[in-house]
Amino acid sequence: MHQSSSKPESRLAAITFFAKTHPGDVCGSNGLPLTPNSIAILGRAQRLKDLKHPHLCQYLDFVRGKHERTIVVSEYFGTTLLDKSRVALLDSLIARIFYQIVCALKELAEQNLVVHNLEPKHILLDDCNNVKIFNYGLYHMTKCGDYVPFPIGNVRYMPPERFLGAKNNIKSDIWSLGMIVAELLLQTTIWSGMKISNITRKILSFLQVGNVFEKIAREHNCLERYAQINGELRALVETCLNVAPSKRPLPTELLSHPYFSKDVTTYAYTEPPKSNVLLLRCPLEQIYYWWQLAGGDVQSELKKEGLIRSEAPILAIPQIVCLNGAIVGPKRSQSYLMDDRVVPLKLNNLFEKLCNLPAMAYFPLIHSPKFPHNFGASMAQLPLVIREKDIEYQFYRVRLFSRLLKGYPYTSDMIRKEAAKDIPPYLRGPIWACLLDVIPIGSYEKIDKFTPTSTDRQIEVDIPRCHQYDELLSSPVGHCKLKRLLKAWVTAHPQYVYWQGLDSLTAPFLYLNFNNEELAFLSLYKFIPKYLQWFFLRDNSAIIKEYLCKFSQLTAFHEPILAKHLSSINFIPELFAIPWFLTMFSHVFPLHKIMHLWDKLMLGDSSYPLFIGISILKQLKSTLLSSGFNECILLFSDLPDIVMENCVLESQKMYECTPKSVSHRLHVLREEPLTEFDITTDVTLAHLQAEMCPRISAKDFTNLLHHAPNDMCALDLRSAVEYSHVHVPHSLNVPFVAAQLSEPRLDALGVPQLEELMHGRIVICISNTHEHAVQFSKFLVECGVLRVCILHKGFNILHTIEPNILISN
Amino acid sequence: MATTARSGGNASGSTAQRPNGTQQNKNCQFKLVLLGESAVGKSSLVLRFVKGQFHEYQESTIGAAFLTQTICIEDTVVKFEIWDTAGQERYHSLAPMYYRGAQAAIVVYDIQNQDSFQRAKTWVKELHKQASPNIVIALAGNKADLSNIRVVEYEEAKQYAEENGLLFMETSAKTGMNVNDIFLAIAKKLPKNDGAHNQGAPAGRRLNDNENNRQTNNCCK
Repeated sequence: MHQSSSKPESRLAAITFFAKTHPGDVCGSNGLPLTPNSIAILGRAQRLKDLKHPHLCQYLDFVRGKHERTIVVSEYFGTTLLDKSRVALLDSLIARIFYQIVCALKELAEQNLVVHNLEPKHILLDDCNNVKIFNYGLYHMTKCGDYVPFPIGNVRYMPPERFLGAKNNIKSDIWSLGMIVAELLLQTTIWSGMKISNITRKILSFLQVGNVFEKIAREHNCLERYAQINGELRALVETCLNVAPSKRPLPTELLSHPYFSKDVTTYAYTEPPKSNVLLLRCPLEQIYYWWQLAGGDVQSELKKEGLIRSEAPILAIPQIVCLNGAIVGPKRSQSYLMDDRVVPLKLNNLFEKLCNLPAMAYFPLIHSPKFPHNFGASMAQLPLVIREKDIEYQFYRVRLFSRLLKGYPYTSDMIRKEAAKDIPPYLRGPIWACLLDVIPIGSYEKIDKFTPTSTDRQIEVDIPRCHQYDELLSSPVGHCKLKRLLKAWVTAHPQYVYWQGLDSLTAPFLYLNFNNEELAFLSLYKFIPKYLQWFFLRDNSAIIKEYLCKFSQLTAFHEPILAKHLSSINFIPELFAIPWFLTMFSHVFPLHKIMHLWDKLMLGDSSYPLFIGISILKQLKSTLLSSGFNECILLFSDLPDIVMENCVLESQKMYECTPKSVSHRLHVLREEPLTEFDITTDVTLAHLQAEMCPRISAKDFTNLLHHAPNDMCALDLRSAVEYSHVHVPHSLNVPFVAAQLSEPRLDALGVPQLEELMHGRIVICISNTHEHAVQFSKFLVECGVLRVCILHKGFNILHTIEPNILISN
Repeated sequence: MATTARSGGNASGSTAQRPNGTQQNKNCQFKLVLLGESAVGKSSLVLRFVKGQFHEYQESTIGAAFLTQTICIEDTVVKFEIWDTAGQERYHSLAPMYYRGAQAAIVVYDIQNQDSFQRAKTWVKELHKQASPNIVIALAGNKADLSNIRVVEYEEAKQYAEENGLLFMETSAKTGMNVNDIFLAIAKKLPKNDGAHNQGAPAGRRLNDNENNRQTNNCCK
């Protein structure tokens, strides 16, 4: 099947305006600078993206430009009512438009939104004469117009009470609707060519009038036409144009009016035929995302249309700046004035880029073995940053994951498998939620997020410091959302408390699910026990100490030379790694780095973060090795640029080659109980602190012996006599009593080719005297031997393993 | 005699960072800790002192952060090793790790916040009880640029500081007011007895005597 090559119409458009600027150097009551209005707008506008309704143009994006510029991208197509009504419309079509606008208003009323700028040019009609309202969110996103320097709404369609200061009432929109319909019915433009002040006077004069519709008709010499209008329809318009807002009908009342209900199918939405362009069958937000990947840039489109004009900055420099901050200078440039043109965004580029894709890629069959969905497999080897920017690859990934997400939780395994390749940024939020086994059931709504608690002060001082470089998180709406999430988490966990750092930990989830607080909350809710079990206890010292000890041990396991150096200069993890682990690095890295890190983290278990920590040390290895304590700690106070991709790859490698028991911690959420062949609970913190090397369980030891004997090197530290009596196959006997450990030199052990024998293998020290294994393993680490561990419970545990793995003589 | 210059590798280590070369000068190294309620501006004070910067949205400190800064007083080069601690009460249990062996402390409160002043008093008490007996403590009333909405009066804090033998200044990390001065005042008060007046007072303890304490979380090798 090939797509039609006819030129498809544009579906997207952008408008732009400036937010009000704050006078220079003004601070809020908390001493912090005031949030720029454009950021506040950005935060408020986000929820509009979620409005999906046949009679509302979908909002797609909000972009901040320079100098408080705001750009709004939304759905836009068809003809405006303004254009359409240049010729007289049939009364039945007018009634249809009337009805459908009411449908839109009803939906908005349910969302507690008012339009306040309803006018014919914001009403779009498609080929089937379906109505869609455009730009209806301007009033909401600008907080009733507070954030912008211009008034919102066309005076001509404003009800009298708006001039008297009343606002935020849906009845105001009903009036505007009445005016629009009256205009259509009278087949005239009301007050055309009249000055704003005169129009205002006209509208205010309605306060004295009984029947506004009739008065308008009389004024415009349309009484004849007025008389011809269907009586019921005319009465409906008249109620809408009632001077008293309380007497105007609500949208629901209008919809249930007999005039409409007797023949609702004529008025109601007609499903347009499916587009023969497959791309246009995809959700509009995906199309916009791909449009951007295909090189689309709203700002440059606006520049082309002359809506963004760049001027030499020198022209904007003030001539005089007074000591009190007042500025004398050039007048505000014309280019800062409001220009309400709508700029369509052309999709040609996108169509060109996607024209060769097979139709199957649009709707991948995920359960059909006959048609494997391996689209884009050839690109899987490219670096992640390239894959993320590649339009074709992201098209495949987004389509595939959209499909998989619809099948969740039944597609969990497939999501996990695909996520291991990479996670498309566009769908990261919901994919993470799936990886965390989140299933929304409306529980978030029921949690108390409002009752003041003793934690509030701390949360309030932390939020304005949490990832504030991000526009969404620094917006007032972002602050409210983060506060609600944190309070909800604290309320939902009476056994835990708020530790500073929980804010940073929550931020990535909010950032990705800004419009879906429940998903953000549940993701956090599941994330913490998985990776940070008991970290948020009032007294978490035992948990943190164990964690940091294990971190030291694993560092010795994977980076013995570094571990030796760090321990020799007393550079202990307590001094630098607490913020790493308590926040899973979300306090030390910017959000965009955390995304890639957590993409992999989500696929690993509770030990994964430890390997991320080691990979950071590894990346700074050469600096650390040549530095003393002060230089090392300074390095971490101001963490240098870590290359995330390497960090992720390294941690992944280490994670995969480390036997589970080596990274064992007591304080984790455990799905299966421990057996005697695991690391048992009698291993205390004191043991961990005393042992440089981690322990390996008998279970993992046996597994290695059976399945990967070439990956291990067992060093039997018992005496030669004991060894000759019974031993593990392939093990080397290095009697501890005879070993020379005074100097870190392997050849002092006198075992021929020991270094080669241990190379690239997990070195397991086995003894029946635990202290021997501890000392010997430390000696190996000091010799720089990689992957040294101690067999937990020593040689004796091996006797109890069935079937027998030992060789006896 | 009783200067606190450090010998050997230390001196050369610090001169390496000072291109002007001050070998003939005395070199001292002091460990200083910042304590105080959350969001009073501890990290901002340090950032202003060390880098001359100010960030409106300075991130919260988790655990602690470490920075160093060197200043000259007369013929002495003083290097501060600064531990900037987390303010939240819950992180209290970590604090001793940082103030142990510290020769100086700045206890910070926010002049707009009475609770933070009370918290500062608690820190002073704790330091008197637990920290090394000769520790030099400075009290900093931060956010002085907002003095039009102050809650803690200058006189009140001043009097408290005098009663408890603390250095006291109102500071503003935002404007830089008194930030260098408070560190300078501390440096002056620290035991670099200038020969003439030296009575061998207990305050004049050599840093080297302290070496063992310092070993726990620092290295000077």
